[in-house]
Amino acid sequence: MAEYKIDLPKTNEYGFYEMRLESIGGLGANLSGKILGEVGALALGLNSSSFASYGSEKKGTPLKSFIRWCKEDQAIGVITPVEKPYILGIFHEALAGKVAVTAGVDEECAVVMNTDKSPDEIREMLKLYGGSVYCVDALKIAMEEKTRINMVILGTIAKASGFIPLKAVEAVVKDTIGRKYPNALEGNLRGIRRGYEEVTSKQFKNDDRYPYVPYKDVQYDWGYENAPIGGINPLFASMANNDMTASREGKVPVFHVEKCINCGLCDITCPEMALVFAEGEYKGKQQMVNTGVNYHYCKGCLRCVEICPTDALTEALERDVDVWSMHEPYRDFIQTKVEFEDMGSNSIVDAESGVTNNTITIEQEE
Amino acid sequence: MVEQTVVYDSGNELAAYAAKQINYHMMGYFPITPSTQIAEHLDLLKSAGLHDVKLIPGDGEHGAAGICYGGTVAGGRVFNATSANGLLYALEQFPVQSGTRMPMVLNLACRTVSGPLSIKGDHSDIMYTLNTGWITLYAQTPQAVYDMNIIGLKVAEKALLPIIIGFDGFFTSHQKRRTYVITHDEDVQGFVGEYHPPYSALDVEHPATFGSYMNEPDLINNKYQLHLAMEESRNIIDAVFKEFGDLTGRYYTAVESYKMEDAEAALFILGSSYGTAKVAVDELREEGKKVGVFTINAIRPWPKEGIYDAVKNIKALMIADRQDSYGAGGGNMSLEVKATLQDYKMAIDTASRVYGLSGKDFYVSDAKVLLEEAYAMSQNKQVTKFDYFGQYPGKEGYNPHQYFKPLTLEEQSPGITTVTENEETGKITVKGGIPIQSTKMPKRIVGGHGACPGCGIFTNLNILLKGIEGYVVLLFQTGCGMVTSTCYPKTAFRTTYVHNLFQNGAPTLSGIVEMYHEKQRRGEIPQDEKITFIMVTGDGGLDIGMGPAIGAALRNHGMIIFEYDNAGYMNTGYQLSYQTPKGAKTSTSHVGPAQKGKETFTKDSPQIFAATNIPYIATVAETNPTDFMKKAAKAQYYANHHGMAFMKAVSVCPLNWGHQPREALKIMEAAVNSCYHPLYEVEEGITALSYNPEKNNKKVPISEFYKLMARTKHIATSPQYAEILEATQAEIDRRWERIKAKAEHPLL
Repeated sequence: MAEYKIDLPKTNEYGFYEMRLESIGGLGANLSGKILGEVGALALGLNSSSFASYGSEKKGTPLKSFIRWCKEDQAIGVITPVEKPYILGIFHEALAGKVAVTAGVDEECAVVMNTDKSPDEIREMLKLYGGSVYCVDALKIAMEEKTRINMVILGTIAKASGFIPLKAVEAVVKDTIGRKYPNALEGNLRGIRRGYEEVTSKQFKNDDRYPYVPYKDVQYDWGYENAPIGGINPLFASMANNDMTASREGKVPVFHVEKCINCGLCDITCPEMALVFAEGEYKGKQQMVNTGVNYHYCKGCLRCVEICPTDALTEALERDVDVWSMHEPYRDFIQTKVEFEDMGSNSIVDAESGVTNNTITIEQEE
Repeated sequence: MVEQTVVYDSGNELAAYAAKQINYHMMGYFPITPSTQIAEHLDLLKSAGLHDVKLIPGDGEHGAAGICYGGTVAGGRVFNATSANGLLYALEQFPVQSGTRMPMVLNLACRTVSGPLSIKGDHSDIMYTLNTGWITLYAQTPQAVYDMNIIGLKVAEKALLPIIIGFDGFFTSHQKRRTYVITHDEDVQGFVGEYHPPYSALDVEHPATFGSYMNEPDLINNKYQLHLAMEESRNIIDAVFKEFGDLTGRYYTAVESYKMEDAEAALFILGSSYGTAKVAVDELREEGKKVGVFTINAIRPWPKEGIYDAVKNIKALMIADRQDSYGAGGGNMSLEVKATLQDYKMAIDTASRVYGLSGKDFYVSDAKVLLEEAYAMSQNKQVTKFDYFGQYPGKEGYNPHQYFKPLTLEEQSPGITTVTENEETGKITVKGGIPIQSTKMPKRIVGGHGACPGCGIFTNLNILLKGIEGYVVLLFQTGCGMVTSTCYPKTAFRTTYVHNLFQNGAPTLSGIVEMYHEKQRRGEIPQDEKITFIMVTGDGGLDIGMGPAIGAALRNHGMIIFEYDNAGYMNTGYQLSYQTPKGAKTSTSHVGPAQKGKETFTKDSPQIFAATNIPYIATVAETNPTDFMKKAAKAQYYANHHGMAFMKAVSVCPLNWGHQPREALKIMEAAVNSCYHPLYEVEEGITALSYNPEKNNKKVPISEFYKLMARTKHIATSPQYAEILEATQAEIDRRWERIKAKAEHPLL
């Protein structure tokens, strides 16, 4: 292919042009990374590699995808995560401010964000040190064009890079996805083009409002001196401080106590142990009653909405409701303050400042 | 030179592509991360009609190695891929393969050996193969994986020895790279040539005995032949490297070095880290430090001459091991490199570092640290001779707090179910299991686990545990249930939980159960302390673990085996299991022009356990929660009084079955009403239906179940698969009629 042979406009100390995509399992960031890798290798005449942060095969888990380009004749000896990207793609707003997605971002970086918000709003939301922000409403475009947000974001990345020809992306998509899913090709191509065109962007200089977030490898509190031997974990039920909000895809169940007949079926179907029942009174009788949804654990699968016989659980768009005002904590926590951590615990990249941004502190009554 | 094409693929995909081009007779395999993609990709290419390699999914890696051995004894070209504990499970077969001189190619995507369980990459697995008599090449890059797969087969067949192509799990197996492949399959086949085995089990005109019983004085002669063959393979490897270089322009050598000519200090490092270390060498050279790095592309036979050539001018050497030979003062590469220095009586100062375990990233800055230490040694400075690199002590003063108190016996005994045994008739009756009352049961598994939205596993576990009163000890075999709930440093379990590997859960829990009884008998734990022991398996755990589970059943330990049947190996990305429906799409049973999904019907595990004559077997579903909880209670009673109970739930997997998470109940209703998953129990050998969809006119054809999921929709809706649909319906009907007939018969 290599019809669009280009020279990389800038490279890092090792001669690489690097990109990082931050996403949630199921949104297609891995495929975007692969396509960008192919664009480099097959269309732009570059040497190219790409890979994802690896884990078990799950949906709804934060993940990262990395792309590394260099001159055709240079070997790719660096195989570690991208620490300082020139392009950072963020596929889901839920990642902003919680997981340390902006590690390594400085003024050189173009941040591509899937959002209906403005670059100024996103800069605040991400607490961005500096850099160019490119906003695209990928979800809306994807729905209108019957494509996926990863295709739209590819278009925006091409735009934000300032040198990736849109035609090169289109050619690779035609050649790979197009062959596999020919029926989806037209929608995909329209999505890519609109992602390229319907962008609002703004350059932010570092104005000392937010600090630079350096890239840092994960280290936990337990190490060889203080961890129990054998990997044995005596901290039973310690996942209870995970917050699964990032796993939700826009919808949440809402509990209407007045409609609830306390049948208990929602507690049967919920895989997340997210329905909180307690001793209470129903129709003048002492019995177990439903007190509501724990939104730290709810992943928005809506099984409970489906099983509820009385519409006491209904679906809503998360952005239309304030889940935290409806949130029902576990009642047998023995800590009054629990720091909740975003789940996924960031399998590869982490940053120090991310750890503080990473927590939601709730006050609980004893 | 031969015509070549640029592709953009990962090491795994390239191994599969080479196998496709070679067109092996057979691949016997069992999925294990990170090597799984090799079988997946080969299957994908097969479904498109691009090759005719026969793919045989083993019941485990040991079985897969047996399939491969059989294929080679029958004189064919055979291919396999594995990793980590899969390799160790198959290891017994390795000396058989080499000792009987049967060439084949095994790709080893190297991964950490458990436990604790890690899926990431290091070299702890491959070092177990050093004494097995296999030739072993090591590929640093995806390009080398492709090349060595072609080179390796030719070497193996010339040497009449099996060969391992090792490479770094994830770093090389999964990173995609710009790579050259030989354009035309015929050119690959021309290079490897034809294989004419000296003996074949299929050559019936020349009968022979394969696998003699051989003691002294003969065995040492057989091993001496093996040794001679291994020595001779040095020349074969060099010759085939050269021949391949002439064909493609890519020349390999058993030892590869970078800036070693004038180096004073050097680093030895294996695999993908070599490329990283070269970048670090360049940086230190700019500082005026004369350092170099070298690696080996062949581990067996050990290329000691090449190593001598590489190191002959240096003063100091740092040896990096991505594994440890605990207690030996270094990993295996350290031991072997140092032995070579001794052989040549070289006075080189050496030190060893164990680094990068479990795929811990190895940055250029890390390589620089190791090279700096080597350089310091060359300047006559002292460094620690042996150490780990990258470990950390933990946060000082870290005092984690518990979020909950341990559950008391009373809290876990809310009386949701009550079980009584009629002393005269022995009939066991269960009452209760009302959903609203079951909310009193505290959760033994808490929220915050990492399963996919809508996952059936945790719904089923929750219902199961609502039916179990009192103390519970859970044992999980490997699978989605455990990887999503126990990722260190956290756990979702509020009750005691044990993990053991895929195949060995039932024996492990047997040991726990019998220790409980023995300690009670000796008065070491309270006599009246009742504990219920439950093994949880799924994700194909009753393929690889079926033999050991049957063994535990035949011993009739007092425990429950609970199977969540999600019909595939979901934790590794949905490969087929024997539970996968016939015709279903999986990543190792693709649907395409040349292939129609999985070949065989779903496994009938309750009937397999029924044949062991354990006292209680039950099938359950989330659609019938009261029935589910009552059966859990009954299973508990049997486990505590009579022996083993087996329970099976079909468990939805929205991600891989291809349905919306919220549709779980609808799909499970169709599974039950189509009798794909009939609800019944077998109590002391007597079958009883729990639910008969025919009674309320609820019975639906299997297509009503299959059409709801992307994995089977094609079977239900496309005329192309009418034959599979018809055959499946007939098999479902046959099994259902047999269950009904048993339920009606007083003896069955």
